Amino acid sequence: MSILEAQNVKKIYTARFGGNKVEALKNVSFTVEEGEYVAVMGESGSGKTTLLNILAALDKPTAGRVLLDGQDIGAIKESAVAAFRRNNLGFVFQDFNLLDTFSLEDNIYLPLVLMGRRYDEMHNRLMPIADRLGISDLLKKYPYEVSGGQKQRAAVARTLITRPKLVLADEPTGALDSKSTDELLDIFGDVNRMGQTIVMVTHSVKAASRAGRVMFIRDGEVFHQIYRGNSTNEELYQKISDTLTLLANRKTSAAIG
Amino acid sequence: MKHTIYPRLAWTGIRKNGRLYLPYILTCIGMVVMFYIVSFLSASDYIGSCKGGDQMQLVLQFGCGVIGFFSALFLFYTNSFLMRRRKKEFGLYNILGMGKWNIARVLLWETAMIAGISLLSGLALGVLLSKVAELCMVNILQADAMFFISVDAAGILHTAVLFSIIFLLILANALRQLHFANPIELLHSENTGERPPKANWLFAVVGVALLGGAYYLAVTLENPIEVMMLFFVAVIMVIAATYLLFMAGSVAICKVLQRNKKYYYRTNHFVSVSSMVYRMKRNGAGLASICILCTMVLVMVSSTVCLYVGKEEGMRTRYPRDINFYARADQFSAFSSVKAKGLREIFSQVLKERGQTKKNFMDYRRGETSAVEKDGIFWTEDPGVYGSDIGKLWQVYLVPLEDYNSIMGENEELSGREVLLYTTKRNYEKEEISISNHAPFTVKKTVDFVDDGESAMIVVPSIFLFVADFDAVAEEFSGLVNYAGNRAFSLKWVYAFDLSLEDEGQVEIMDEIWARVKQYNESDVEASVFNSMQIEGAAKERSGFYALYGGLFFLGILLGIVFVFAAVLIMYYKQVSEGYEDQSRFEIMQKVGMTKHEIKKSVNSQVITVFFLPLLAAGTHLAFAFPMIKKCLVLFGLLNGKLLAVVTLICFCIFALLYVAAYRITSHSYYAIVSGMEGKARG
Repeated sequence: MSILEAQNVKKIYTARFGGNKVEALKNVSFTVEEGEYVAVMGESGSGKTTLLNILAALDKPTAGRVLLDGQDIGAIKESAVAAFRRNNLGFVFQDFNLLDTFSLEDNIYLPLVLMGRRYDEMHNRLMPIADRLGISDLLKKYPYEVSGGQKQRAAVARTLITRPKLVLADEPTGALDSKSTDELLDIFGDVNRMGQTIVMVTHSVKAASRAGRVMFIRDGEVFHQIYRGNSTNEELYQKISDTLTLLANRKTSAAIG
Repeated sequence: MKHTIYPRLAWTGIRKNGRLYLPYILTCIGMVVMFYIVSFLSASDYIGSCKGGDQMQLVLQFGCGVIGFFSALFLFYTNSFLMRRRKKEFGLYNILGMGKWNIARVLLWETAMIAGISLLSGLALGVLLSKVAELCMVNILQADAMFFISVDAAGILHTAVLFSIIFLLILANALRQLHFANPIELLHSENTGERPPKANWLFAVVGVALLGGAYYLAVTLENPIEVMMLFFVAVIMVIAATYLLFMAGSVAICKVLQRNKKYYYRTNHFVSVSSMVYRMKRNGAGLASICILCTMVLVMVSSTVCLYVGKEEGMRTRYPRDINFYARADQFSAFSSVKAKGLREIFSQVLKERGQTKKNFMDYRRGETSAVEKDGIFWTEDPGVYGSDIGKLWQVYLVPLEDYNSIMGENEELSGREVLLYTTKRNYEKEEISISNHAPFTVKKTVDFVDDGESAMIVVPSIFLFVADFDAVAEEFSGLVNYAGNRAFSLKWVYAFDLSLEDEGQVEIMDEIWARVKQYNESDVEASVFNSMQIEGAAKERSGFYALYGGLFFLGILLGIVFVFAAVLIMYYKQVSEGYEDQSRFEIMQKVGMTKHEIKKSVNSQVITVFFLPLLAAGTHLAFAFPMIKKCLVLFGLLNGKLLAVVTLICFCIFALLYVAAYRITSHSYYAIVSGMEGKARG
């Protein structure tokens, strides 16, 4: 059963002055099945950030629909959007977005507190997650006291504790060193194996090569998709590299021609 | 680089940061206006020529100094907010290749522009408003208004020089900061990481103890002398306690709340409490300053307004009747001497010639001494003022019962050593009273009596004993001595009455009486019977009295305005700089799933707490200071506690209204800054 369905999504930005129109997304359609791990790749300006914003209900498509678990997220009232996102979506950001006024523990509790959950329940939910992410000893620390990798793990814990239908990750490894990147990707793999649906936008071939499917966006359209099938991480890495090379060459030849 | 680039950069800098610069420039203008008006009034020939104008100008000259000093402090403080924001821009210029010298030139232009704008518009506005202020003054002095605008060249010069110096100092300080900073520091000066504040329990506890102690002092002190002596001790305790509590106490309270998990992990409390810790750490000192400024404004304005409103009453305590005549004697026989009779005749004669009759007439004799009270015994030999028992010092008056009965229209009777009792400034509750080694009097009851100029003037409380056989009592106490062995008991004759006449007529009558009394005295009728004589008239003193209280009132209001200005502006800058710091935090909260409504609610509760905490604390300080202010005003002859209560309450309400208005403007800017970021986050 597909958990996320984008149908002919189109997004046109109109500049505030002069009325210049920019077509960020031309016509994007795809589905994500429950338990899938999808990486979205594309160059700067390809429209992937716009797509992510629309999937995250931060922005509305000009035309087309996005269905999450059968519900049209474009049709949700403005006042209910925040609650919808809180209850159904989880986010992991490049720059972690932890509040420096909270300890890691309180940062992780934040979405649950907003939902009005009791402390005991939050605490019971946190313990196994913190264990799995290896941050049990860091919970009392403040963001400025821990490393980037540890911050990102806390951010992942904050995402998982709400048990979202879909996790949206935006360049989650963008600010991490290679060791922390590996650790985080392992965690994503683990979480996905336990049934969590993940959509990750990334530049990193390494990060994409750990996904079950890689979707390439170019000029506002889905250009190509690679399914892992039975490939290993290394094989998938190679396929992704080849596709990117192909994409780059096409662009160059188009520019020359 | 072309030379016009510096003024252009300076001007764009000011314009682009209008939200910060506009209030600063307005404050500069406001300060210039205030300073010019006060220095204009203190030098105005016209005011000086009004009755009592010279007294008022003395008060204003003092006020001039206060405003000048405060302007310097205050402009420095607000400028530091500007510098913090501008540093980033300067860092950018620096990295783009401008040397520090070039930036200094931008700063020089900027300061010159601000100084030029503030001085020109401030002086222009000051000249206009000085006429309004002059009319107010003239009204207070009850003189005739004069309708043309005059410009005080010396005042303009003084203002220009003072504020040029202040601006130069501000510039020097900015250059100093620039000199010691490196570009990277400049670029990042705004967002340096912050540790979570730790609660300093010791400071919090000391703060509570100091505040409790000061409040206890304020409420329990009975004696005006002690109030005078301890007033400043209490003020310093309150100031210290306010700083400690705002800085350490607030953090400690937040920490306690955080420890209570059931309370802390609730949608409404979670974000607010945790942000408050940081807010209070950053703003504790600023908020304490605002609280103290507010308290100062309230105490100053309400007491000066009260003095001004109650000026007639204050004067009446000091000069109980329109004409007051006092004569001092050593021998009891003086009261029935030929001379006393002669003086009485003079009074009647003058009034008869002028066609006037005495009203509220009082004519009484009294014996006086000062003594230190210990367990119901008043010791005249005690060193009192020079010893440690200054708080127990009393002025003691003995008055014949028959004089009491005739003045008060009563018909009291006493037997043996019974007395009636009347006190001013504090109460005496014991049953018996002795003076030195003499046999004790028993208090029959406590009564009311007329005001007395002398006991109104002095700080120590007075006790009046009305005795049946004054003749014998005066004889009995004539041997009282003080600590040095000198005679400590003297007799006084008080002869006073009201007239139904305008002030001018009263002054004439008083001068006439005094001239004849002197003449009569020189004619050598029993020359030494009265060793000193004195006449005081309410009419003659009224203008001086009103001018003094009016001057204090005027100054109180002016300084009140200046301090309110200061408090509001500090508040504004606090909120604005908070707003810039909070932008990123709100972006995150929205990403994590807080709705705008929730964020706004949480922000609102924090902003309101931060904003109204100082007002609340100031209100509490004021309430506890009330008994002390009341006793201090007694020394100014104001005995009407109800008037003070009403005036204080009204002042507080007006102040709170101003405060709410300031809150509306300020919080509006805050939300504009915080939500300005939302657009960016989406783009």
